[in-house]
Amino acid sequence: MTRGVWLAMMLWCAMAAHAAAHHSFSAEFDINKPITLTGTVTMVRWSNPHGWIYVDVKDANGKVVNWAFEMAAANQLYRRGWKPEDIPVGTLVTIDGWLARNGSPMANTDKISLPDGRKLLGPAASAAPVSP
Amino acid sequence: MADRMVTKVLILLALVAVGTTSTHLASAQSAAAVARVAANPRTVPRTPDGRPDLQGIWQVGSRAAYGLEDHAASYRMPAGSSVVEGDVIPYQPWAAAKRAENFQQRATADPLSQCYLPGVPRIMYMEFPFQIFQTRDHLAMTFEWQQVFRLIYTNGSGPSTPLAFWMGDSRGRWEGDTLTVDVTNHNDRTWFDMAGNFHSDALHVVERYTMLDADTIRYEAAIEDPKVFTRPWKISMPLLRQKGMTRVLEYQCRAEMEEANGDFKPDPRTWYQKGSGGATPAAPRQVRATAPGNGAGSLRRMPDGKPDLSGFFQADAGGANWGFEPHDEPFTPGGRGVLVDPPGGGLPYQPWARAEKLDRNRPERGYDDPTAHCFAGGVPRSLYVPSPFHILQTPTYVVLLLERMSWRIVPLDGRRRLPDTIRLWHGDSLGHWEGDTLVIETTNLNGKTWLNEVGDVVSHAETVTERFTPIDADALRYEATVNDPIVYTRPWTIAMPVKRQEGGLLEVACLEDNQDLQHLKDVRDGSQK
Repeated sequence: MTRGVWLAMMLWCAMAAHAAAHHSFSAEFDINKPITLTGTVTMVRWSNPHGWIYVDVKDANGKVVNWAFEMAAANQLYRRGWKPEDIPVGTLVTIDGWLARNGSPMANTDKISLPDGRKLLGPAASAAPVSP
Repeated sequence: MADRMVTKVLILLALVAVGTTSTHLASAQSAAAVARVAANPRTVPRTPDGRPDLQGIWQVGSRAAYGLEDHAASYRMPAGSSVVEGDVIPYQPWAAAKRAENFQQRATADPLSQCYLPGVPRIMYMEFPFQIFQTRDHLAMTFEWQQVFRLIYTNGSGPSTPLAFWMGDSRGRWEGDTLTVDVTNHNDRTWFDMAGNFHSDALHVVERYTMLDADTIRYEAAIEDPKVFTRPWKISMPLLRQKGMTRVLEYQCRAEMEEANGDFKPDPRTWYQKGSGGATPAAPRQVRATAPGNGAGSLRRMPDGKPDLSGFFQADAGGANWGFEPHDEPFTPGGRGVLVDPPGGGLPYQPWARAEKLDRNRPERGYDDPTAHCFAGGVPRSLYVPSPFHILQTPTYVVLLLERMSWRIVPLDGRRRLPDTIRLWHGDSLGHWEGDTLVIETTNLNGKTWLNEVGDVVSHAETVTERFTPIDADALRYEATVNDPIVYTRPWTIAMPVKRQEGGLLEVACLEDNQDLQHLKDVRDGSQK
């Protein structure tokens, strides 16, 4: 992958992060603290104004912490082809996101990688019209 | 044979109407009216295509909101007669126990205590008015309570989804003079009334709207939920025309609650306070030549020749919800800039307001954006948030149904403005046509809104002139001129295309899981430690 394409993807992901937001992204999450975590899905909330996915993640000491990741709004996920059953409880996922400012185990995500190689990407450019 | 059937139906109607008679006067009167007019349905107003014309402002004539069954009075709950056919809701034993528990805990367990959307049928008999708009293809109901709306497809269209909604998914069809509405896709979080009557997500509601005379609709709802009830059951009650009521106003339940308990604090620099402001300044009237569309001949038109703006749209907003000026900061959706006047410039801020805008960009101020609380977006923000909207148009109204569950009603009949003291999140919007351009002038705004997530400022002196100019059958040019002498040194104008979309509205019930507000509060409070 060329550096340019990678950069473009990163930028796209960054823009995706809060395009759906009903609140200021940078007020709630820290753009200087990107994280990538791997763990097991414990719950998916298909809700508004944002969906949430909860994941058990083992820290360096082997302690399990339940992380909350904020996604796009339910209807935006649906319009992009997501369905609640796409991420069943127990699925091993790797999630990229940005840490919450309030210090809790929480982040905003726009990229969830599933074991079968599928990537559920966030609502990139949801600020733009759904179709022409 | 047919005559005998009709007679039987009429007798039945009259009997049921008498059965619904409530103890209080309005119901008693309406029930009498129901019985009287059932025998003489020729007084029913009709649309040009011959359907009963349900349009107007209505409110229920019964105490069903407090309890569907016969009930004596208790604290904050006036007595009322049953609207249930057979008087008893056929609960399964476990569900009867659950209902009793709900009743005991109703002060906090009732979903309305958190201002959640009431669901169907409950919204139909809350003691708040609502307005019906009717076209060949749709019927819209706009409710005063929390600015909830229902869009009922009567043309067989509309998106089919597996999603559950607080207000369900409504599809209507005319059976003779009765509008039958099939309501599916309910969630399991709404109640039927204040008495704790409830259902599961297996709820299926079939409503029947029958006009008995010009001022009375007989409302029936058949309720089915095999997880909770032993058999289907039915309620019926009259909806009464609210004569002399010219507008449905706003009761923004959640905003009122948060203002009352201090979670959302007034800003005296921008909020309207009675006695502090003068009369609302007239909206700037800019009569100008209509920008010619690419093909005026290709526009959709109403029978009266006006452009037909109806349909499902979203603004190609150019990132306006993150700033009107061109912007390309990391982690903010880029923006091409939508400011057309002043050309090439920035917003013409007064110094104090520019300082306030910059201050609002501190993370600690994120909590203060009203949309983070799920409050209404205001004008013009509701048009360029990244959510679509549905336009419903009649000869005398344009109605904007906003996916984030609020509405704007725009009368086109040249009526008088509201008094200055009535201030609204979406203001008082009056529309008129200038050639093929719909011009909407909005006053009486409350000064509580932000213009976008980067905190652009407006006050209660804000007035807005919006112009919707059709470009072709599937696109409009949207323009909004904002005048706010408290905040700006001169009026300014933004413009963007608005494009027809595939699909349709999918309810965004923002309050249902708004964890963000607590997170933003943590950030705000953390900064004060």
